[in-house]
Amino acid sequence: MAEAGRNPGLAVWVWVPIAALAAFELVAQPMIRAATPSDRSWEAASEYVRARYRSSDRIVAAPAWADPIVRAHLGDLLSLRMAAPPDAAGIDRLWELSIRGASSRDEPVDLEKDFDGVRVRMWSLPSQELVYDFVEEIASAKVELLDADQSKACPWVAARQAPGGLERGPMTPRERFVCDARRPWLWVGATVLSDLELQPRRCIWQHPAGPDPVRVTFTDAPLADRLLVYGGIDYQAERKRIHVPVTLRVWIDERLATELVHEDGDGWSGVEIDTGGLGLERATVRFETTADNPDARLFCWSASSVKGRRPVDDAEHRPSGGAPR
Amino acid sequence: MSDARALKGWDHLIGAALCVGSLLLLVATASDLAMSRDESFYLHAAKSAASWIEQALSDPSSAFEQERIDQAWRYNWEHPAWMKLGFAWSWLAQKHLGPFPNESLAFRFPGMLTAGLLLWLIYAWAASVMRREGALFAALAFAWMPRVFYHSHLACFDVPIAFFVTLTAYTYWRSLADSRWVPWLGLSFGLALATKHNSWILPGIFLIHFIWVRRDQARSGRSERVSIAWLPSMLVLGPLVMIGTWPWLWHETGRRLLAYASFHLRHVHYTYQYLGTNYFEPPLPVSVPFVMTFFTVPLTVLALCPFGLYERRDALRPPWMTKAGAPTNRRTEVLWFGCMLAPLLVIALPSSPIFGGTKHWITAYPFLALFAGWGLVAVVERAEISAWMGRRWPTWAFAALCLLPGAVQTAHSHPFGLSHYTPIAGGVPGAADLGMNRQFWGFTSGSLASWIREKLPYGGSVWTCDTTSGSWAMMQRDGLIPPNIRAASSMASADLALVHHEPHFAEVDYQAWVAFGSVQPVFVLRYDGVPIISVYENPRKIGR
Repeated sequence: MAEAGRNPGLAVWVWVPIAALAAFELVAQPMIRAATPSDRSWEAASEYVRARYRSSDRIVAAPAWADPIVRAHLGDLLSLRMAAPPDAAGIDRLWELSIRGASSRDEPVDLEKDFDGVRVRMWSLPSQELVYDFVEEIASAKVELLDADQSKACPWVAARQAPGGLERGPMTPRERFVCDARRPWLWVGATVLSDLELQPRRCIWQHPAGPDPVRVTFTDAPLADRLLVYGGIDYQAERKRIHVPVTLRVWIDERLATELVHEDGDGWSGVEIDTGGLGLERATVRFETTADNPDARLFCWSASSVKGRRPVDDAEHRPSGGAPR
Repeated sequence: MSDARALKGWDHLIGAALCVGSLLLLVATASDLAMSRDESFYLHAAKSAASWIEQALSDPSSAFEQERIDQAWRYNWEHPAWMKLGFAWSWLAQKHLGPFPNESLAFRFPGMLTAGLLLWLIYAWAASVMRREGALFAALAFAWMPRVFYHSHLACFDVPIAFFVTLTAYTYWRSLADSRWVPWLGLSFGLALATKHNSWILPGIFLIHFIWVRRDQARSGRSERVSIAWLPSMLVLGPLVMIGTWPWLWHETGRRLLAYASFHLRHVHYTYQYLGTNYFEPPLPVSVPFVMTFFTVPLTVLALCPFGLYERRDALRPPWMTKAGAPTNRRTEVLWFGCMLAPLLVIALPSSPIFGGTKHWITAYPFLALFAGWGLVAVVERAEISAWMGRRWPTWAFAALCLLPGAVQTAHSHPFGLSHYTPIAGGVPGAADLGMNRQFWGFTSGSLASWIREKLPYGGSVWTCDTTSGSWAMMQRDGLIPPNIRAASSMASADLALVHHEPHFAEVDYQAWVAFGSVQPVFVLRYDGVPIISVYENPRKIGR
């Protein structure tokens, strides 16, 4: 094929780039594997974090796909709230275990140490003391299903959990309020939602029953400077953006404090209620969910009573997203 | 038209050796792979078909009644019968004669056989038109694509359709020069139709190629014209073979054919992660099949393919750009190019349902490998490698060097074939950084078998996530999982819960956290450091 008219001087070297590519592939494959941090590196980094850990610390992985590895090493330190934060309250420090030069934050670090491919970094965060986490206190609430002229109490029971699986929505906790056995989705309890961004959110499942509210009442709940209220819908139901909005009304001592209207596409989002000016240390706080049509309204919300200033002074009234990542 | 070399007996010896060698390798490595999700459905269908075959042999009059046919063939009606019949016959052989060491291999063997035959076919076709070094290279380059190697193991339709599409293209090509091949074309197209719907595009590709050849001939000024007899053969024999091998279509034929076509034209969308975005709805980016090919086919083979295309550019020139009176041939390269490009373009169409896995355009890869074979021949000849020492071994050494990356990567990809990415993507961790699909079908649970056996020495239950109960049962029958470790239907009541890592399975991860009250997996199965499966242990069952 080396025909007359072609330049044999260059053509005879054509094998070189091909051989170089083959050599590149042969060398790159083991190099990629060799760059993978060893179990020993992960263990050393984890021990370092474990020795300095406090209960108000959150631990994350970078890149996010390494998260199961980090949880395998340090998951026993993480509460469901810390692993699936609904908001930034109660998190004083953020630990990050990162590989491959990945980073979850750009801010200057307070601490950094490398463990042969696993880098540990720590940031101190603006203090927002968590005074009362409504999600973790759900068992002490009263739950009712209202219709036009009466209310029906939903009992707190230990009930069979959902089987789990893809597109099955959040897992039912073992103990929960069950409102209607014929409508198995009408329960109220603490779970973890996969939000529109597939992020975990610790929250209270309170699927609306329709235009008549499902009501959750906390009597004598501690209040402080602000009440952070967030809500979201399971990603499978929200991503289609075809369903009606869900309304969450928050009442403090019988006064409507806020009305959060969650539309498909909002993702995990919420409001801050200034409770510092109410002059109340404790109050009855009521959460009511409604929707014109309850189909596929897999709504879950969180509320945190917090003390301390906002992390960012000019935070918008309707922040989206929760804890630092 | 004589534009091909007649094959010699030892060409077929080489082809047969490729086939047998491939079969032996696949058989030896199959037990590392748990049955994939789709396999578990097809083996269920195959068992149903096998019971019908047994009845047809013992009591034909009742076997052919619609009620009995519907009973046997309704399950998995959306896929034609040819390979399922193959799985069924193989399983019947296992049932009565026991030639295979385990049941899953009995189901998988027919698919493996098509993988071996495909290597033979690639070699034979290539050896007809190019140097044998290129032909052997093409066959091995195809065999040593990591994802092809994975799919070659399975009791599925993807490698079989790659074989039957290539066989149909080959018989079409032969029929252009020799009318005795026309009926064989109809038969092979029928078998392709009876294997999978990828075959639907073949008449269109052939028609474009045929018009190309006819225009060539018209410009040549000679009276010779290639016959269109191939088309009626395909259009008549093809559907007859498909219907004849598919009992489901023997009653209510028209309605069921329409339902079959409609099912695939309006196919459900698979959730697919691509470059950091999780696609639930179409359109997928047009780039998906091209980037996935770039990231999963060994780079050296990919580089040789365009080199081959460039080398054969004269043969790819449109008819209006050829000189009037120039000699004509079958334009083999145009046919190959069409067969390579069309499957990629079909998936790239914004109107196509979401099919992200490379298996959906795997029919393109035999032709990609054939052009890579041309590329190798071109490099060897341009560089005059054979002339370096007056011997042929430098040529073979260069071919071996070009094959080695594929072989090494394929070896490393096993048994995580669908998680493997080539170095150009940064390997497995690089692909995870880029946000590429990590797996599907739940077959990676097989890699946990020994860990689970050790963890549950006295038996127990496992919630198996994306691994179907049928796949789990096959692992038990194959002896990978003891019978006293059962698949649990409820996560909360299981001893162990598995989570296969794909972004949309995040909700399952969170379900496990709530079910077990812990976010700590007891084990994370990793491949090159990237999580594949997390295993959670039920705290209520520990120490039981």
